[in-house]
Amino acid sequence: MKLSILIGITLLLSSCVTNIVVTGTVPTPLIEKMPVRVAIYYDETFKEFVHSESLYGEGKWQIELGKQNLVFFRNLMSAMFETVVEVNTPELSAEDSSNFDGIIIPRIEKYGFLTPDISGLKFFSASIHYRISLYSNENEKLTEYAVVGYGKSEPGSFNASSALGHATMLAIRDGGTRISTELKLLPEVSQWLNESRVH
Amino acid sequence: MMKKLGMVKKLGKIIILLGLVVGLSACVSARIEESRKSTTEIAIDETLVILGRASYNDRETEESFTECLADALGNGPTPINIIPENQFKDQMYPWFEPRTAPSSSDDLAKLFAQPGVQDKINNSNVRYLAWIKGDTVTIDKGGSFSCTVSTFGGGCFGLTYWEQDASYEASIWDLKNMTTAGKISAEANGTSYLAGVIIPIPILARPGNAACKALAAQLKGFLISDGG
Repeated sequence: MKLSILIGITLLLSSCVTNIVVTGTVPTPLIEKMPVRVAIYYDETFKEFVHSESLYGEGKWQIELGKQNLVFFRNLMSAMFETVVEVNTPELSAEDSSNFDGIIIPRIEKYGFLTPDISGLKFFSASIHYRISLYSNENEKLTEYAVVGYGKSEPGSFNASSALGHATMLAIRDGGTRISTELKLLPEVSQWLNESRVH
Repeated sequence: MMKKLGMVKKLGKIIILLGLVVGLSACVSARIEESRKSTTEIAIDETLVILGRASYNDRETEESFTECLADALGNGPTPINIIPENQFKDQMYPWFEPRTAPSSSDDLAKLFAQPGVQDKINNSNVRYLAWIKGDTVTIDKGGSFSCTVSTFGGGCFGLTYWEQDASYEASIWDLKNMTTAGKISAEANGTSYLAGVIIPIPILARPGNAACKALAAQLKGFLISDGG
């Protein structure tokens, strides 16, 4: 009897959570590769990023975007740089410093979303605040680049959770658009590229 | 006696509502305008891409509208080869995203200078891009409608309506000549009704659908028969 009540309560509680696993296509950017060898460090928060938020009257929302974002970034970075190697530490060892021109550390600083009920608009919107840090092969910080990816999706052809998942995927895509087209234009990155061309 | 009188009154209301429902037919009026800047002709092996103009504000072309256009143009007696919007955007990523997409055909030369872009366009045999902008909005609504359920049964009563305005424009770019070949605009307006006579009776006008069909027919004529 007690068990069935517990199961009932658990089922009732779980029914209030909208769980979203972000999926979507991962396009390979049509861009010129930067002629450098980079190490990339993805920390565990980046790899497994999950956003949980409770909204008044709308229950709890849990958006799992880390895995899809990681797949997207791996593809993006491979298209952006001549050589890309994933490393397990955020600092390059003395041995590694001769193998790489620098190390890149991307982070997700913030994720946010709006439902049509909150915004009063007819679509779900999502934003992802990324911070891309670039260090030299001697672990000296060269620059930090903050970028916000934004996406929106109408629930017309999707249900609510699919629409938010789609909006989040579009935000990842938008972040990727900015990173792939703007990063190399930063003065510090241009200088680093010029200095790194002579290996 | 009083009960009979009440029933007669109720029956009278139902008859009036039925009359209204029969009298109301949701009609849609559509208007098309075309301006041509150059001659156009799509070869049998060439393709067209229909793209919704995205923006970061609260209004943008619905994906369902571009899908409707692609469906209407890609089928029928003289179908045109269509590359689906999402497939094209993936192939050309990141150059047709909301913040990078060329805003006019003058930007095409700059876009084609990006590595790999020209080759992708050539390999896909894309000859024309049709940029669609516009949307369908509700401009007026009113009336009242309610449904009740009780132990003795249930039913709906009332009348509600909403008027929608669909306004879309297609800007056709010729990728071979890197010019704007022309523009076609479609506007449609219609009022939908929902009447409750025990059961709810919807009489729906679909101005978005009417604008889609009208624009597709005009666009097909624009690309297939040379209007010189």
